[in-house]
Amino acid sequence: MISNKTNIQSYIKIENNEIVLNGTSVFKTEPTDFADFAKQAYRNFEMQYPKFFKMDALSKLAFLGSELLLSPIVSAEKENNIALVLANKSSSLDTDVKYQESISDKENYFPSPAVFVYTLPNICLGEISIRHQLKSENSFFIFDAFNGEFLSNYSNILLNTNKADLVLCGWTEFFNDNYKAFLCIISAAENENYKNENINTLYHK
Amino acid sequence: MKGVAITGMGIISSIGNSVVENYISLIENKIGISSIQNIPTVHADVIKVGEIKKTNEELVAELQLSENNNFSRTAMIGTLAARQAVENAGITSINEFRTGLISATSVGGMDMTEKHYYDYFEKPELVKYITCHDGGDVAEKIAEELGLKGMVTTISTACSSAANSIMLGARLIKTGKLDRVIVGGADALAKFTINGFKTLMILSDDYNKPFDNTRKGLNLGEAAAFLILESDEIVAKQNKKVLARVSGYGNANDAFHQTASSENGDGAYLAMKKAFEVSGLKPSQIDYINVHGTATPNNDLSEGRALRRIYKDEKVPDFSSTKPFTGHTLAAAAAIEAVYSVLAIQNNVVYPNLNFEVPMEEFDLKPQTSLKNKTIEHVLSNSFGFGGNCSTLIFSKS
Repeated sequence: MISNKTNIQSYIKIENNEIVLNGTSVFKTEPTDFADFAKQAYRNFEMQYPKFFKMDALSKLAFLGSELLLSPIVSAEKENNIALVLANKSSSLDTDVKYQESISDKENYFPSPAVFVYTLPNICLGEISIRHQLKSENSFFIFDAFNGEFLSNYSNILLNTNKADLVLCGWTEFFNDNYKAFLCIISAAENENYKNENINTLYHK
Repeated sequence: MKGVAITGMGIISSIGNSVVENYISLIENKIGISSIQNIPTVHADVIKVGEIKKTNEELVAELQLSENNNFSRTAMIGTLAARQAVENAGITSINEFRTGLISATSVGGMDMTEKHYYDYFEKPELVKYITCHDGGDVAEKIAEELGLKGMVTTISTACSSAANSIMLGARLIKTGKLDRVIVGGADALAKFTINGFKTLMILSDDYNKPFDNTRKGLNLGEAAAFLILESDEIVAKQNKKVLARVSGYGNANDAFHQTASSENGDGAYLAMKKAFEVSGLKPSQIDYINVHGTATPNNDLSEGRALRRIYKDEKVPDFSSTKPFTGHTLAAAAAIEAVYSVLAIQNNVVYPNLNFEVPMEEFDLKPQTSLKNKTIEHVLSNSFGFGGNCSTLIFSKS
């Protein structure tokens, strides 16, 4: 039987120019746009991953969150069977619109393959996989609103059927410079720190 | 290790409008690569394609669609192939059992969108095509034509799409979620893919030469193919003829690049490894490998290295790419190659890898270059997609 208990190991929130890791604010800027905020965050944490700069906003958002959660636990020496399960509301619409604008005028037509590859939301999963060499399961879902129950169930199924040792799951929403990321690491083992929490309570905290 | 029964097949490609026509072309070296006729494109003189030589009007007539239909070309060729498969499996009552449809596509209705994009505001009579743009529309249209009321879904994972649709179908049968499932894919030629692949500089201006040292890239093709998978209960109950079985499958993430395969073929290696685990077969038991073999410098190097890693010091079995016949049919590729794999098992043949001349300098792999008759028990078929989505299927004699 599938266990209903979701064991959260760590979590991160990115919104309103601030990054909160496990309940503690670890980075904050003055109000600015996401591009500038993301760049400052990247520099602040000395991420050393130049591919970051070619990513679209959704991938940058997902990357920043996953970077702080995964870097301490991913090992270069062994296989990291960490599944990725993300969801949002606006899919890749932010980049889709930018791409559409580049082809909407017949006389001024500049489609860029570098933008085109980001016109799918699951590309951010690819970016995280490439960064950490994850060859594991991944899936991206679109929901009308945050659906903690779905994320918990899906992650628990992956863990209970031995499809993954850990699951990075959460919500990465980006459209028109409005953004919110909530990501957490879930495992089969219980973590005392979050014994009484679940995805919903932490998301709304 | 028994695998899921395949009881019917249907196909339309540039080398034939039926399973029999495709098989004859494969054994008689009749290639389908030619100059493009159905799409006006500035690249017409420099590219060669595997085009189905039927206009949209001819397809509409053949399917007896009404004048106000909004079928994309992808949906039309998909419907033709799916109808053949259902008929071939002797299915007369489509909803008699829990029956599903899993269709793969990458182009979807893009052919109509690119044709009418700038006219939608001025010509209301074209607006009907907007709703056929969605990739899922192809499967919905096919289901409607078949009168299918069960589960209908679409898989779009670039060039491994149809392999994943066959894999999902096999799993749904194995776990008892469905009794019968129509699996496969369809992709029509479109400027979308022609221009996209041109921009990536992986289109050949010549006939594609998989696994050749001087290979220059791929020829795009269009095709649709569907297979019928059925549970053993139905096979026994209806005394169905089993053409072959899906005995293994694997899907893995290459985790390397959006549009390129890793140098050592990590994803390809993992996909094959998983397929062997599912089938319980050893690599040495494979009699023929239908490689992905797109003839791009990157794919063939990556796939070849993955094969070397799977076979270590052993000899790699006879292998060939059938893409010199059909071109690379993208999301449909794994479906048409599944049909070819089943035909290889039924007829005990290895198809030639046409246009091959010079072995690649990176390894000692030489494809089979002429038609070879030998006993075939197990065929492995690879399909790797952009985004690092790598899939392997294994088909076995029933």
